[in-house]
Amino acid sequence: MNYDNEFDPGLSRRDILKGSMAVAGAAAATSFPFSNAFAAGFPDRNLKVYVPTREGGGADRLLRSITGVWKNKLGVNFEPSFFPGAAGRVGYEKYMGLAKDDMYELLFGNMGPEVLNWVVKKPTFDLSTFQYFAQVDSDPGIIFVSRRSKFKTIDDLVAEGKKRTLNVGVSRLAHPATLGALALGKHTGAKFNPIPLSGGKNTRAGVATGEMDFGALPSGGIVNRAKSFKVLLMFSHKNPLPGRSENAPTMNDHFKTNMPSLIAGSRAFGIKKSAKAKHPDRFKKLDDTLKTVFTDPAFKKAYAKTKSPWEFVGYRSAAQAKEYADNIARIGAEFKELLSGKKS
Amino acid sequence: MELDYDLAFFGEMFARTFSFWWVILPSIFLGLIVGAIPGFSAANTIIILLPLTLAMDPETGLMFMVGLYASSRMGAGIPAILVNIPGTAGAAATPLDGYPMTKQGRGQQALAMSFVASIAGGLLTTVIALVSLPWLSQIAFYLHSVEMIVIMFFGISLIATIAAKDTLKGLIAGFFGLMIGFIGTDVVYETPRGTFGFLELYDKVPLIPALVGLFAISEAFAIIENQSILTERGKAAMAKPGWAATFEGARIAASRWWHITWNSLIGLVIGVVPGAGAAIASFVAYQQSKTYSKTPELYGTGHIEGLIAPESANNGVTSGTLVPLLVIGIPGGATAAIMLVVLQFHGVTVGPDLFLTSPELAFGPFTAMAVTYTLMILTVLPLARYMSNITVVSTVYMAPIIISFTLVGSFVPRAYLFDMNLALVFGVIGYVARKTGYHVAAILIGVILGPLMETYFLRAMKMSQGDIMVLFSSNIGNTLWVLLVVSMALPYIMDHRRGKSEKIAANDPYG
Repeated sequence: MNYDNEFDPGLSRRDILKGSMAVAGAAAATSFPFSNAFAAGFPDRNLKVYVPTREGGGADRLLRSITGVWKNKLGVNFEPSFFPGAAGRVGYEKYMGLAKDDMYELLFGNMGPEVLNWVVKKPTFDLSTFQYFAQVDSDPGIIFVSRRSKFKTIDDLVAEGKKRTLNVGVSRLAHPATLGALALGKHTGAKFNPIPLSGGKNTRAGVATGEMDFGALPSGGIVNRAKSFKVLLMFSHKNPLPGRSENAPTMNDHFKTNMPSLIAGSRAFGIKKSAKAKHPDRFKKLDDTLKTVFTDPAFKKAYAKTKSPWEFVGYRSAAQAKEYADNIARIGAEFKELLSGKKS
Repeated sequence: MELDYDLAFFGEMFARTFSFWWVILPSIFLGLIVGAIPGFSAANTIIILLPLTLAMDPETGLMFMVGLYASSRMGAGIPAILVNIPGTAGAAATPLDGYPMTKQGRGQQALAMSFVASIAGGLLTTVIALVSLPWLSQIAFYLHSVEMIVIMFFGISLIATIAAKDTLKGLIAGFFGLMIGFIGTDVVYETPRGTFGFLELYDKVPLIPALVGLFAISEAFAIIENQSILTERGKAAMAKPGWAATFEGARIAASRWWHITWNSLIGLVIGVVPGAGAAIASFVAYQQSKTYSKTPELYGTGHIEGLIAPESANNGVTSGTLVPLLVIGIPGGATAAIMLVVLQFHGVTVGPDLFLTSPELAFGPFTAMAVTYTLMILTVLPLARYMSNITVVSTVYMAPIIISFTLVGSFVPRAYLFDMNLALVFGVIGYVARKTGYHVAAILIGVILGPLMETYFLRAMKMSQGDIMVLFSSNIGNTLWVLLVVSMALPYIMDHRRGKSEKIAANDPYG
């Protein structure tokens, strides 16, 4: 699967001009300034957001925090619709099948696991017709244990993994944090058996109750439960939360590897490319106003209430989102047989 | 977790909670309504009302959510008893004996029994949960996938019990239900199976359309053949309205206090395990109740204990699901998960610290639940008399009302038109099953418990890397296996002994 072609970061200026010309007419398009004035009147009704996970999870919380502020900048509300199932596949297929390309319908997904899912099983829609246009968080994958666990350091865990196969609770097999655990096993020679537990909540339950030897998830849901869990290792270039993770080491520092940063929580807004091509002015208005959400103190205040780390939140462009998706897809391809059950 | 609180503290907590009566009372009535309408539940109602609960301070919001949660559980039993429509999967075992009682004109009495069983079961388990929080929270550390597989077998073995009258048909119905339950993507590799290409089936066969189709729509098709859902005897009984049936129902239920205690405790224990839930608890309670009953042959015909068992168990689950949420920060069910979102929005971090930093929030849900159940004695029990009048409505009106309400209900949880069609398909399956002597409850047990069973089984197999002996690898699991074998064999042994003693009595020249 070549993601270079499938994750276009966005249209070039020339493409935008072409699209605008089609919409506004040749005469007006010769020197088109994409101002908000052109998108005047947009949006004049609520925006619908397709979410490929269940309500009540991390994506729901983050989306509500963002749209709670974003709606004030656009003057309309957001209506999230949740389409869980098949590792996000249902939500994406529904979005691509049902959403109109009028910029009133967006998707809010978690790029890492969902891109990996496409590596394992291609979706029915053409990937080149979809793009993420703004990544809104970057939460690194981690290895964590229950506070009751006998493993106090990553070395304890690896040493035990060399003696017996350890069960590692993961949200799902095709997940960046799972890849991190597998890479750790591959590098150290420890034997890890990933057990998919269908979501972060179940994974935390599996580790907390001692059914799993340890877990691999994005860090956000773990560091804010520091009384119950301990972070042992991070799959990022540097530990972004030394204070909240008891200065947990990174994989590259501790094991002298050269692994790319495995960002496991990577929520992003996506859009049909045809919508962007038809309404570049509307797209620009959405993108511009979304950027301002992250500098708005009201958002910081609302987000702080979720107790999730502020350090992970921020606007990243379509190009940065594409780069991330490409990286994850490449690493996923390495472990494709394992993730699809062709090899255990 | 060490808690150091005395009776005065709990007395003060209860008094404080009673001062929220103005929040709890409306939540009780709202909960009864949403619980009684298939498709609505406490979880999705709390989601719909998030703007309201988020605007309240955390304590008031909690009182509202807990009141709604507890009363919706009880509300789900009302249509299950009166018109054979379980409001939620947790009430799926209730109509097995509740609806036959209604047909006999004992709807009011059945409702009163169900209310007393629910209130007593809920109240008892709430108090037990409150005083034994540190110990109860440990249950989740011992009931893992292997143990849950055996617990599932307790529920699934009910298929064999139901099939007792016609074993082959019962087992075919149960197997058919299990096959339907396995539709969707598998939990390990997310591979779609049996979805016929329908995206809407990737996330398993949705429970509400299956539930309303098999029970309600098929019932609507069936009752239209008669003028009334009541038998002739039932019509005669309903012609004499009064409070007597309510008092009699309450008295009978209260006299089965041991049965209520035992089954609500089953619910409490299952509720503590994250992800288990009320459907498992009510089927397991029904199966256990029948196994140890002196009159197992009466189950399914309007047996008092067959109604009390699932209702006390599913209300026991309610307080159980709050235990892991508040003690270890892991919600025991969907409604508890939504409560967690509301608490987090207010900056409240659940877990052991909450009992030290904000005891009013940590203990509040339990005292709110106890107060809710107490208030329901006064507010809901008297309604049994009036609610039961629905059974005298002619089927000419009843059938279309049932079909339209349940079709809307099947649309609500996911907003898919597909689910309305699916409910109709299940309605036809249920109707054909009834007409040909296949038990719809056996199909439904398979649909509800099949996916859960598969999840735990695949997890256990993946953890053991394919070693089937993992099913016998834990002491608790092995003890449960023995209990399962005993509970399955006991009815046959007792039947055999009863037959033998009847034979001896018949041959006794002095008898």
